Amino acid sequence: MKNKNQLLKSGEAGIIDMKKAVGQLKSGMTIGLSGFSYMNPPMAIIREIIKKKINNLTIVSGPTSGIETDILIGAGCVKKVITSCVAFEKIEGVAPNFRKAAENNEIEVWECDECIWHVALKAGIQNVPYMLWPAGFGSSIPRLNEDIKEIKINGKYYLKIPPINIDISFLHCGIADSKGNVQFPNNIFLGRLFCEQELAESSTKVVCSVEKIVNNVAIMRHPERTIIRNAQVIEIPFGAHPGASNGFYIPDLNHYKEYARYCRERKFNDYLKKYVFNMKNHEDYIKLIGKNELNSLKLKNK
Amino acid sequence: MKINKNHSIGELLACVIARELKNDDTVAFGLHAEFTLAAAFLAQKLYSPKLKIRHGLSVNNVVELNPAAWTSNVDSKSHLLVQYNEKHDSILSIANPNEQNKLCDTFFVSGLQIDKSGNTNLIGTKDENRKFKFRGPGSIGTTSIAQLSKKYFIFSLEHSKRRFVEEVYYISSIGYNTRKKYGIAGGPLLCITPLCVFDFENGIMRIKSIHSSSNLQEVLDKTGFQPIVPKNIEITKEPSKDELKILRQIDKEGFLINMDSEIVA
Repeated sequence: MKNKNQLLKSGEAGIIDMKKAVGQLKSGMTIGLSGFSYMNPPMAIIREIIKKKINNLTIVSGPTSGIETDILIGAGCVKKVITSCVAFEKIEGVAPNFRKAAENNEIEVWECDECIWHVALKAGIQNVPYMLWPAGFGSSIPRLNEDIKEIKINGKYYLKIPPINIDISFLHCGIADSKGNVQFPNNIFLGRLFCEQELAESSTKVVCSVEKIVNNVAIMRHPERTIIRNAQVIEIPFGAHPGASNGFYIPDLNHYKEYARYCRERKFNDYLKKYVFNMKNHEDYIKLIGKNELNSLKLKNK
Repeated sequence: MKINKNHSIGELLACVIARELKNDDTVAFGLHAEFTLAAAFLAQKLYSPKLKIRHGLSVNNVVELNPAAWTSNVDSKSHLLVQYNEKHDSILSIANPNEQNKLCDTFFVSGLQIDKSGNTNLIGTKDENRKFKFRGPGSIGTTSIAQLSKKYFIFSLEHSKRRFVEEVYYISSIGYNTRKKYGIAGGPLLCITPLCVFDFENGIMRIKSIHSSSNLQEVLDKTGFQPIVPKNIEITKEPSKDELKILRQIDKEGFLINMDSEIVA
C-alpha cells in the first residue's frame, strides 16, 4: 500500500521511442501487461524486454492471460504471475510455459479468479489496506494464496483482498495523440474493452504502444473513446502480433499453433531465437512474418 | 457411445441447455461461448423469447457465434450487434444485489475435474511431492460467477473417470457440500456431459437422463464415483426437427458439429 510519502513520479506524457519505453523497466519490478485471451498483448515491447534480459518480474496480466505472459515465463523473466488464468483458447487449454514453470515450482502463482483480480487492483487505486469481496470463500484460492483471507462479518463470509500496485504498465491500444490521449476505434469486438484503463490507473508509469499516432483533433472528435490520458505513447503497427488488436486485426492462430509446437517439442529456445533474439527490431519481425500474412489478418468492417 | 447420424453431440447438448433457459434469465458466457451462445439463441427463438443475453445479443440480429472475447473472422460485424459497450471490470457487477444491474443470473462452468458434490477444479492436481502435479489454466471467472449467479450449469465435453472424481484436488467453484459448510444456498442445477445429464439430490450428483447414444453401464463405468441411480431414468429427449432447423440456421459455420472432435467419452 502506498502512503503519502510514496507519491511516485510518473513518466512525462508524450511520444517516446522503444529505447525509452523499455529503459524504464528494471529487474524485480511489478509490471502490468494488456492482453485478454488473444486481445491486445503488447508483443513488440515484450520482445524487446526479453532481449534486454530483464528478470525477476512480477506480472499483472489478464485476468485471462495468454502469450504475453507465457513468452516472458518461457524466456526466464518472471518470478511471479498475478492473473486468474493463462491459456491459449482453442489451441492449448493451459499455456505451455506457464504450465511447465508452475509444475516445476519455478514461478509463484498468485491464485485468484477474475473478480478477485479486479478487486485487488481497485484496492490499489483507492490506496486502502484491503477490500472485501462476497465470493471465493470455500474455494482453494484463499488456501493457495496466503495474501487472501476468509473473514466473517455478521454471520456472512467474505474474502479480504490486499491491494496490487504496479510500477509500470505496457499496454497495446488503438490510437493516441502526442498529448498521450489513448483510444480504441469504434469497431471493437462486441464493444468490449478489457483491462487497459484499469491497469493504467493502477500504475505509476504507463507506456501505450498503438497502431497509429493521430493528431489531437482526431482524438477530440470522439472524447468518449479516450480511456487513458497522459500516457507515454509509441506507434507500433502490428504491435500485438500474433495477438489481435481491437478494431484493427484478428489473432494469428497459426502462429500460436507454431509456438505451441515448439513448446511440445521442447524447443522453445529455438522459437525465441527465431522470433526474438535474431530480430534487430520490430521491422525485422514484420518482415519475417510477411506483409501478406499480416494483411490477411486485417478486419474488414470499419 | 454410439454415433448418431441425425445430429451431433454438440447439437444435442445445445438443445438440452436451451430447454433450461427461461424468459426471466439473463445469461453470460465464458469459454466455449459459441456452444452456449447457440443454445441461448435457440432458446430465444423457440422457448423463451424474453431471454436476455449480455450486450443485448439476440437471435433476430445478424448472428455470429464467436468466442466471448475475440473473433477469428475478419468479416465480423459484432460491433453492430450490441446495445452497450463495456470494460472487463463490469464483471464485478455479478455481486450487485439488484437483479437488473447484475452481470447475469445464469452461467455455465466447466472444469478439469468435477466431483460428486458439484465442486469444479480448473487449478490443477497435486501429489505428495508436488503442489502442482498438473497445473491447470486457473479459475478464470468461474469462482465468483458460479457462486453469485441465481442458477448455473456445469457442462463437460469429456465424460471419464479422470474428469468425474469423488473429490476434486483443488476447488475453483464450490459445490453443495462446500456451500453447506459456509451456510450459503445455491449450487449447480445440472451437469451435462456427452453421455448423460446429471442433476443433484441432497447435494449429490444423480443421473437424470441418459442420451440414446449411451447406456447406464457406460455412464457408471466412466464416472469415478457412484452417482445416485434412480429407479426410472429417462432417455434424454433428442433434438426435434424444429430445434435442429433453427440451430443449423444459427450455426452457419458448423461449430456444434465440429465440436464433436473435442468430445472424449
